Amino acid sequence: MIETSIHTALQESVQDVLEKMFFIELDPEAAGQGESEAEICAQVSFHGDPSGALTLRVTSREARSVAADFLGADADELSDRQISEVICELANMICGSVLSRVESTTTFQLAEPAIVSAASAHQLPDGALSHVVRLSGGSLTVVLETEPLSCPVQEKSAS
Amino acid sequence: MAYRVLIVDDSPAMRSFVRRVIELSGFELAACFEASNGQEALQLLASEWVDAILTDINMPAMDGERFMEALQGNELLRTIPAIVISTDATSKRIGRMLALGARGYLSKPFLPESLREELERTLGVPND
Repeated sequence: MIETSIHTALQESVQDVLEKMFFIELDPEAAGQGESEAEICAQVSFHGDPSGALTLRVTSREARSVAADFLGADADELSDRQISEVICELANMICGSVLSRVESTTTFQLAEPAIVSAASAHQLPDGALSHVVRLSGGSLTVVLETEPLSCPVQEKSAS
Repeated sequence: MAYRVLIVDDSPAMRSFVRRVIELSGFELAACFEASNGQEALQLLASEWVDAILTDINMPAMDGERFMEALQGNELLRTIPAIVISTDATSKRIGRMLALGARGYLSKPFLPESLREELERTLGVPND
């Protein structure tokens, strides 16, 4: 039940962040079609109740497109550094959004998001939840791993 | 009337986004300054006056909470309305930042028009 609720929070958060901050409309029919190769990976660890980490994997072409949407820039003119900064910020926003949907008696401390190697990002720990969305330039995968919860999860709408 | 706004965030991407959203929203912007943490913001505020501050919470060197405390500890700077922009939308965090003197709180993700509305509300800009 709790796992289902966190997965719902994960789905809603990804949609909410992409729509509001990146102006990307998701096609529900295209969501959850499995994992695909990822090139750029960012990770945010958090401490609270629960503690854990969120990992974001985005295919290179989609990462460039997403960064261009966020910065209002021409995709071809973006540097690798700019793309990495946007992907880190995207991971940060999704992580914060998921955690804020979790009813908790404590506040969360988010570490600074960082780019991690694709190899480490593909190691899925037991109990990790993932959500995949297909976008025009590739796919975006979010993996959430948490320590056991000591409090219930509150489901909220994505509005 | 056009306003001078300071954006405090350790993410250059987020600073660019906020600046672009303000500009595109039609908000009357006279000048826009940026700082990557509270310490840099205080240094900037020593020489530049702003009408509103938009600040993140999680930042190195001086985070949003310490920055708010520093603003409140200064007779002049405490008069500048500060709006917190953060991924943390927990009621505890919002309550804490408002208690520290923040005049508004915008949780990410937010709609572009929400940023303009929050700026205009805290600045007392009359509705059209």
